[in-house]
Amino acid sequence: MKLSGLLILLCFHLAGEMVVTLSGLPIPGAVVGLLLLFTALLIRGGATRSLEQTGGTMIGLLPLLLIVPSAGVFFLGEHFSGQWPAFAGAIVAGTLLTLLFSALLMKFLAGGKQ
Amino acid sequence: MTGLSALLHSPLFAITLVLGAYQLSLMLYRKSGQQPFLHPTIGGAVMVAGVLILLDIDYTAFNTSAGWLNFWLGPATVALAIPLYKQLHLIREMAAALAITLVTGAAFACLSAIVVAHLLGGSETTLLSLAAKSVTTPIAIGISDSIGGVATITASAVILTGIVGIVAVNPLMRLCRINDDRIWGFSLGLAAHAIGTARAFERSPVAGAFSSLALCLTGTYSAVFIPLALYWLR
Repeated sequence: MKLSGLLILLCFHLAGEMVVTLSGLPIPGAVVGLLLLFTALLIRGGATRSLEQTGGTMIGLLPLLLIVPSAGVFFLGEHFSGQWPAFAGAIVAGTLLTLLFSALLMKFLAGGKQ
Repeated sequence: MTGLSALLHSPLFAITLVLGAYQLSLMLYRKSGQQPFLHPTIGGAVMVAGVLILLDIDYTAFNTSAGWLNFWLGPATVALAIPLYKQLHLIREMAAALAITLVTGAAFACLSAIVVAHLLGGSETTLLSLAAKSVTTPIAIGISDSIGGVATITASAVILTGIVGIVAVNPLMRLCRINDDRIWGFSLGLAAHAIGTARAFERSPVAGAFSSLALCLTGTYSAVFIPLALYWLR
């Protein structure tokens, strides 16, 4: 993990947050930062070694960073208990159907090119 | 006792607990031959929630103490641009298929959840909170707020969606006889956002890049599409 690579990621995140604050777009600053970094990579023609290393480390740590928000599922509160069947049913069925739908559609569209 | 209680509510305790839970669940995950329901995000979340309940620590307060960890989600999201750039040639090759799958798939993700919840007797608030379930958390909360959903319910819906996605992806893809990492990654990123993307990187860099692409596109497209669609329907 190199500090210079981390600095680049932080700068693009900050730039993304600035764009969102100034424009009022309903998109998270980190996503705008991602798009800005992607554009910069296109213009520059690639990432530096330290950026690539740091980026790889950060992406590898995503499962760790998602633990705290995930734990929130256990603390939705008692007033919500009557909604659990509809809530859980919609998530399980909806997600399975969405995975099937998009995978089969892509397989069909990509057709002979595989 | 107040001293100890203060320590249990400190960032030091929060971060140590989360890192410890991660290490332990990562070890279990590897030892089990990568059983999907033992994925570190799932195992870690169960352990952390268990400790919070045992020690009677309020989740909202804990979430604030763990803020330092949550902070890094931003730069980690920005970092997804790098694999995306490196796989650009593969993305260009199937741009039309990706665009069509995105536009119909993201709408399908939203509508399927609303329809199933409605059939199972969900309240209007529940339906609205589910609309953005396949979108990455920060965008989903923004969408939910703008259409009258409840942020905490939406955040939980998003997480559960991710968990269902990573548990189901292998059997479903086998069922459809899909081995192509591009399709594997894009479908998982579309249906199961960041949790799916973290899982896709474990499969291969190509699957990860396609999942990142789907994650970004589904998020930005849904942020525009869901509020507008509901506005027209009302």
